[in-house]
Amino acid sequence: MSSINLTLKIWRQQNSDALGQLETYTLDAIHTDMSFLEMLDVLNEKLTKEGQDPVAFDHDCREGICGMCGAIIDGVAHGPEKEVTLCQLHMRHFKDGDTIVIEPFRSRAYPVKRDLLIDRSALDRIIQSGGYVSVNTGGTVDGNSIPIPSQQSELAMDAAACIGCGACVASCPNGAAMLFTSAKVSQLALLPQGQVERKQRALAMVEQMDKEGFGNCTNAKECEAVCPKGISIRNIARLNKEYLFAAMTEG
Amino acid sequence: MWFVRLLSSSIGKKLIMATSGLLLVLFLMTHAAGNATIFMSSDVFQGYADELHSHPLIVLIFSISLLVLVLCHVAVGLYLFWENRQVSTSRYIITKRVVKNSFASETMPYTGLVVLLFLSVHIFGFTFSPKHVDISVTVKNLLSNFFYSLFYVIAFIALTIHLSHGFWSMLQTFGINHPRYNTLISRLTLGIPLFFLLIFGGVALYFMTGLGANY
Repeated sequence: MSSINLTLKIWRQQNSDALGQLETYTLDAIHTDMSFLEMLDVLNEKLTKEGQDPVAFDHDCREGICGMCGAIIDGVAHGPEKEVTLCQLHMRHFKDGDTIVIEPFRSRAYPVKRDLLIDRSALDRIIQSGGYVSVNTGGTVDGNSIPIPSQQSELAMDAAACIGCGACVASCPNGAAMLFTSAKVSQLALLPQGQVERKQRALAMVEQMDKEGFGNCTNAKECEAVCPKGISIRNIARLNKEYLFAAMTEG
Repeated sequence: MWFVRLLSSSIGKKLIMATSGLLLVLFLMTHAAGNATIFMSSDVFQGYADELHSHPLIVLIFSISLLVLVLCHVAVGLYLFWENRQVSTSRYIITKRVVKNSFASETMPYTGLVVLLFLSVHIFGFTFSPKHVDISVTVKNLLSNFFYSLFYVIAFIALTIHLSHGFWSMLQTFGINHPRYNTLISRLTLGIPLFFLLIFGGVALYFMTGLGANY
């Protein structure tokens, strides 16, 4: 097992109203088998022992499936490796003597609460506005008795892989939440259970997305490139279509 | 009203950009076909121009429609540019684009403004050219000027860059993104702008290099 020495520049901010700035820390002998968050744990242990405030960051499952962690590492959401969350990024992707700049995910709709901790409840409110099925679709047996073409169910499953980490918004040059919203609309629009509320869902979720202050999509594809679950922008095309059709025939 | 809600939403504004963009591309195709007659001879080109302008109603309806389309495309484009700047200016200390070849998508407003500048020069030079001079003579006179032609070529390069993102982006906004067609779409996204560059840039280079001296 090899180890590396690092210089970290981390965004420190006391609370939402305070002004933040980058603080520099040095860390020695970081094992390359550690995950990025374990490296931050080591830093926080050190800061705590020195009587300083530890760095606040979001995390939960640490196995890349909950969508809680995330930060901008040297300008890239979730760091340099493809299709991983920050907790699944390992220190072997860094070199001895590297300086790593760590900033929180940013968006007009994501207030920084403290250090790397942000408030992503805007994404929850998009889900609350229509990302569900509220009609009775029957029990488990009924569910299995509904024939669904495997291609449809696979596409729905691909969209449902979204863990809502919000990296798409953070990496979008316009701070748009289109990849997130399109995945949440697609996973239901592709399945028979989602058909009843299909139009209202597209209208309500896009309306909520706009209301939260997310930007406009310019098809820059950055979201797809950093998404830890590899959600395709084909979902955005689907959302555009869903929304247009819904707006022209409903409400 | 349903269409007010549609057009004021983020997706609706993109749809205005995509629809006006598509119609402008279709116009450019007819314009390129007409201009290609320049390569035949000045007589053929003059004949095409005279024939076209012998139907003033067609020209009037086309001109007004194009003016409305350009105004929509520019106004909504600038509004989106302004809105997105509110969200995105200096968010991060380090900003890095992961997508390769993102130059075209990053510079859409700027290449668009270059094309707009070109458009005003072009309309001033040709649409409002002196009526007593034949258009085939005006074309030669104006484009034989090296710097005038150079400006044209630069503007066409800007248009090519603009469309090399815009064409694909337009189809994506319409919801057209399917593995079966994506290869075709990416080829068209390169091919159509290059076609325009070939025809329009070719006309400018034709006179710029002196090849069209006795056209």
